[in-house]
Amino acid sequence: MTPRTGLPEVRKVVYLQEEVLLEAGAAPAVPATRASVAVVIRNPWHGTGPDQDLSAEAERVAPQLARIVSARLIEGLGGVDAIEAFGKAAIVGTAGEIEHGSALIHTPYFGNLVREFLEGTSILCFADERADAGQSLTVPLWHKTAAATRSHYQTMTTRVSDGPAPDEIVVVAAASTGPRPHPRIGDRTTDPAVTSAILEGAEA
Amino acid sequence: MNPRKIVTIVEETHTEGGRPVETVARVAVVAAVIPNPWDGQGFVEDLTAGIDAVASDVGALLAPRVIEALGEPVEAYGKAAIVGLNGEVEHGSALIHTLKFGDHFRKAAEATTLLPAVEKRGPAGVVFDIPLKHKTDATVRSHHQTIEVRLADAPHPGEIVIALAAAAQGRPQQRLAPLSTEQ
Repeated sequence: MTPRTGLPEVRKVVYLQEEVLLEAGAAPAVPATRASVAVVIRNPWHGTGPDQDLSAEAERVAPQLARIVSARLIEGLGGVDAIEAFGKAAIVGTAGEIEHGSALIHTPYFGNLVREFLEGTSILCFADERADAGQSLTVPLWHKTAAATRSHYQTMTTRVSDGPAPDEIVVVAAASTGPRPHPRIGDRTTDPAVTSAILEGAEA
Repeated sequence: MNPRKIVTIVEETHTEGGRPVETVARVAVVAAVIPNPWDGQGFVEDLTAGIDAVASDVGALLAPRVIEALGEPVEAYGKAAIVGLNGEVEHGSALIHTLKFGDHFRKAAEATTLLPAVEKRGPAGVVFDIPLKHKTDATVRSHHQTIEVRLADAPHPGEIVIALAAAAQGRPQQRLAPLSTEQ
């Protein structure tokens, strides 16, 4: 039996996983699996105005969300050690403020905990928007301990067919077990010097 | 068969209609994005060779995965074929409307009924609904349900998305009188 989340506000949890076996006709040298977990919850601040203090509910709700999404990603992707890149996102229903989504994902009560559970050190990159149910959202990911690792810049598109309702928020975390399928654009260590003056012919 | 990608979706419903569901409702989908075996061949009159080459293998790939993703006994099930814009809907139907495809899932789930299906043609990112019905009695009303699916970049024009769906229960908060009460 699927356990309850411990958070009565949760309506749905949607796990989405994508394995790329072939890209441009060739198998990736380092195959990666990407996954996202989207949790649909009632907006704790529905019906309140911009003078509402968001801190109490953020402190109550966000740590639970961090636990739910981290556990699903670890379970789905085969353990915390398998996870190399991560990101987060929120889609706020049309009756809420983007600030409500931000309160759930951009405070230590979510970000610090997801980073801790997924054993990362990088800042979590993110996307947020306000939208109707069924809007797809592209979640950016980067390396969990070395954010500038260019091979791991990638995205995961996620969507909940019937969420968020106007008074709901969809909170998302996503992760990948490896790089893009065929990364070949170098890295900071191999980059030539590039400035506008160099491109116009100056010596590097 | 050479799938380009395999996508797994697990949807859990914890509350519905503002009330917690009795047990968390679980529906899983696994989809494989494969090349259309008849792509670029013009109108192929006899589809048998392509069916023989692909249908059983896709069924064998998807069936254990969707059962594992559901993680609970299957009570309702369904299937889908979404054909990219260069193909015919008939190509998708050819792959899923054969016992060689469906029997992998039917046997593994100890099911007996025909798998309800959606077949359509569309661009990458097209939204489709997979219908599910009870696996041994297609008249069990509580188990009539659908799950909505979208793959961000499939099918390409020369591809077909083949999917299986499984549910561990009927609709969340199902409370319709059974068909027998109206007969």
